Amino acid sequence: MIFEERQLEKNNFTVRAIILFAMVAIVFAMILVRVFSLQISSYTEYELAALNNKNYSVPVQALRGEIYDRNGNALVSNNPTFDLIAEPHLIEDPIIFLAKISEIIALSNIEQANFLKLYLQKASLNKELVIKKSLTQQEIARFKVRSFAFNNMFIGKRYRRVSKHPELFAHALGYTSRSDATNQSLSDIPKNHWRDAEFIYANGFIEGRTGLEETYNSFLQGVHGKRILEINAKGRLLQSLNFTPPLRGSDLHTSLDLDAQKTAAKMLGARKGGVVAMDLVTGGINVLFSSPTYSINKLANGLSVDEFKELLEDINKPFFNRAVQGRYPPASTIKPAIGMFGLAQGLIDWKYSIDDPGYFVLPDDGRVYRGWKKGGHGNVNLQKALLISSNTYFFTLAYRSDMSDLSDHLSKFGFGKKACLDCFDEDPIFLPSPDWKLTNLNASWFTGDTVNVGVGQGFALATPMQLANYASLLANKGRFFKPSLVPFSQDDQQLQIWEDQNFSAFDWNQMHTALTDVVESDLGTGRRLKSLKNFKVAAKTGTAELVSLDSKEAYEDVRGNIANRDHAIIVAFGPMPNPRYAVSVVIENGESGGVVAGPVAIEVLKSLINE
Amino acid sequence: MSKPLSKLYFDPYLFFSIAFVCILGLFFLYSASNTDLAIVTKQGVYVVVGLFLMLLISQAEPDFFRRISIRFYLLSTALIILTAFIGPEINGAQRWVRIGYISFQSSELFKIALPIFLAAFLCDKKLPIRGRDVLITLFIIAASFLLVARQPDLGTALIILFSGVFVLFLSGLSWSFIGAAFAAFIISSPFLWSLFLQPFQRQRIATLFNPESDPFGAGWNIIQSKIAIGSGGLFGKGFGMGSQTQLNFLPETKTDFIFSVIGEEFGFVGVLFLLSIYLFILMRCFYLALNARDRFCRLVIGGLSLTFAANLLINLSMVIGLLPVVGMPLPFISRGGSSLLSLFFAFGIIISMGTHKKFLPQ
Repeated sequence: MIFEERQLEKNNFTVRAIILFAMVAIVFAMILVRVFSLQISSYTEYELAALNNKNYSVPVQALRGEIYDRNGNALVSNNPTFDLIAEPHLIEDPIIFLAKISEIIALSNIEQANFLKLYLQKASLNKELVIKKSLTQQEIARFKVRSFAFNNMFIGKRYRRVSKHPELFAHALGYTSRSDATNQSLSDIPKNHWRDAEFIYANGFIEGRTGLEETYNSFLQGVHGKRILEINAKGRLLQSLNFTPPLRGSDLHTSLDLDAQKTAAKMLGARKGGVVAMDLVTGGINVLFSSPTYSINKLANGLSVDEFKELLEDINKPFFNRAVQGRYPPASTIKPAIGMFGLAQGLIDWKYSIDDPGYFVLPDDGRVYRGWKKGGHGNVNLQKALLISSNTYFFTLAYRSDMSDLSDHLSKFGFGKKACLDCFDEDPIFLPSPDWKLTNLNASWFTGDTVNVGVGQGFALATPMQLANYASLLANKGRFFKPSLVPFSQDDQQLQIWEDQNFSAFDWNQMHTALTDVVESDLGTGRRLKSLKNFKVAAKTGTAELVSLDSKEAYEDVRGNIANRDHAIIVAFGPMPNPRYAVSVVIENGESGGVVAGPVAIEVLKSLINE
Repeated sequence: MSKPLSKLYFDPYLFFSIAFVCILGLFFLYSASNTDLAIVTKQGVYVVVGLFLMLLISQAEPDFFRRISIRFYLLSTALIILTAFIGPEINGAQRWVRIGYISFQSSELFKIALPIFLAAFLCDKKLPIRGRDVLITLFIIAASFLLVARQPDLGTALIILFSGVFVLFLSGLSWSFIGAAFAAFIISSPFLWSLFLQPFQRQRIATLFNPESDPFGAGWNIIQSKIAIGSGGLFGKGFGMGSQTQLNFLPETKTDFIFSVIGEEFGFVGVLFLLSIYLFILMRCFYLALNARDRFCRLVIGGLSLTFAANLLINLSMVIGLLPVVGMPLPFISRGGSSLLSLFFAFGIIISMGTHKKFLPQ
């Protein structure tokens, strides 16, 4: 090549090399800009992402508060159990390890298989593995003396939620069971970390399902703590970085009374029914019992599917809380309220009387409504009508009443709405009224319907809770507290004063006298109860008809089937003349309010008063 | 023609800057391997051997490479073909060849052989280069590319493609041809996409543009690498303190993603420092290319140093999410004997070409 040609080639090369190296420089600059944007502009974002990669937060379960009765007796507590827990990453040979444990603590085939199944996974993640739950005292002792030989195993304390009286308070307290539901105090912990939580209960996260456990769940459960662990990319736990301890749940001090509840259960025995008793000074519920019942310990700590199914399908419905959900005709126990309605409306006064031939003929269509006594009670005024429970008197009074006004009146006594402030799943039922019937049954209200309501039958229905609430209102002369299982502070207490000014102190005193006579006089329907106690009691008995019949003879035919027999009902309060407690009792198919339900109410009152 | 035996052909700028990068690399590798001294020691031996190899090769007369260029190229091609028959299959790819006790990636030699061969072929062609010669060159480049691409090793194949194209461009390819070729590439790119790319390679390209679409699959590497670099901030988390690296969230820390380790533990300051050394090496190569004694030397220095630049820039772009994930080590730092020795080999040739001067000016 000649010199010029070489020079031309060299210049050509220089231009092209500059172009290529300039391109390299441009790409270099682009890379620097990108690195700058990652490391400087978006630093916080990536720093957080790196932390989220390695920080693994797990909940630390809080111990649930315990539940006590009004005398400080524990109703539900946390009982420690002891589990044998292995640290698989410290175990060299799982087979030899199992053999070594078996020398001191017997392991079932299931426990061994479970250990071998989970061993590798837990070891790779540095997680603990429960080998055997609920060790016996002997097993614990045998392990403790040899624990120096096992640096890869320890005994962990886990609790179970148990009641000393698992059946007595089933409906009042309710039960807890395993839960995965989102929990407020854990909201910043991702859901898939939950399985790695540090549990304090043997059965993991628990939550109140029914009763007080449900109503006061957030109060009882406390605040779960949090542990932040460092993990690697494979999820292996490396070390604890941060620990926020849990806050133990608060204890619940209820107004329930262990002895009175025991009395109610003993008196009801195998019979179906509900008992509710209240403290008239505080509105606290002392007894809330429904029969038949079930064991909350079993439900809380694992029930087989078959056992659960059996409970669900039991024809006596043990899960059904008769005390707050049972719909029973109040029957004659409603009569004091009807009588007061007559007084308030000026339809009657205490002197007003009628002739009771044993039946009432509805003038509109000639239909006959019968009383419980053939031949009737002769001349009856309000006091006598309550004493001997004359149906004819109240048929007549109801016939003269305006149903809408009567509905309003019954509402003031707490019917047709929830009575209790903190009962689980209480049934408000409904208030009998023309509007209700039109809306729900698409039928118009007949005068006969009002006549039935007058004796607590027909569309009149109430729960034992509503009846106890009604009894406390009668006892307190219109001044009453809303019933609750946990006493509210003085400020929160809902003092209700019946605003009807048509009742004079005289009317209330007369009413108390009349109802006291039901038990204390020789003529009253509750006269057999008089000798059972050493204080005076006011009461109203009732017998709720399940089958509408024309005569006693017809009843004799149907009572062969137990399910057709009348319900026995009583509302009572005492000691008179200054009552402190009110009680309601309903015994399904018990037939006689005075004879069957009465003694239950008296024994419960005795238990409460004589304490 | 004779040369004094006492003269040592040595470029202190390149030698010391490369040695410095290698020593830094050993520290990075120590952290990236979770303080595995065995790995670092082995790599250290490669570095020492490589530095001597570089020194040794740079003593050779440039014309020696010109004379053996065709034999060297044919030998490399033979090794590549051999790999396809006897190479063990690792992760679905055949890239390694084993001769005696030495096993290495056969494509590494190819990266050097092709540009030298093309430089030798083109260095005596008149300007502008005739169409026939251009076509021969392009055919050789394409054949070389395909041989490596079918291993499959798209990263190295691209480097080989670049190395050939750089030499062709520097040797004086006419501008009109370049324009036409560029247009042809744009038009044919969809066919290349479906014809030559393996499904996993297509997946990687798709993932580049939206790594979050597949956070636990192909996107994982890019996402974790960006988190590692980004969380390093200005000064980094400190040597051995990077959680992404030490807790294994970052993949391939010892090889392709070692730059992310550096970014995480030494921050933007560390990255700037490292990149400035690389930039210095490239600038020195640029200087040597412009001042080389003849056309052959210019083409070889330009071709090899730009190939090195492409290698470096593709790795950096990949780990910061500007390019799809292709297997490409960070030169002089990533673990691996083959790539390290081939780099020393290439720089030995660059120094040889840059330091030998003609004694008889024309």
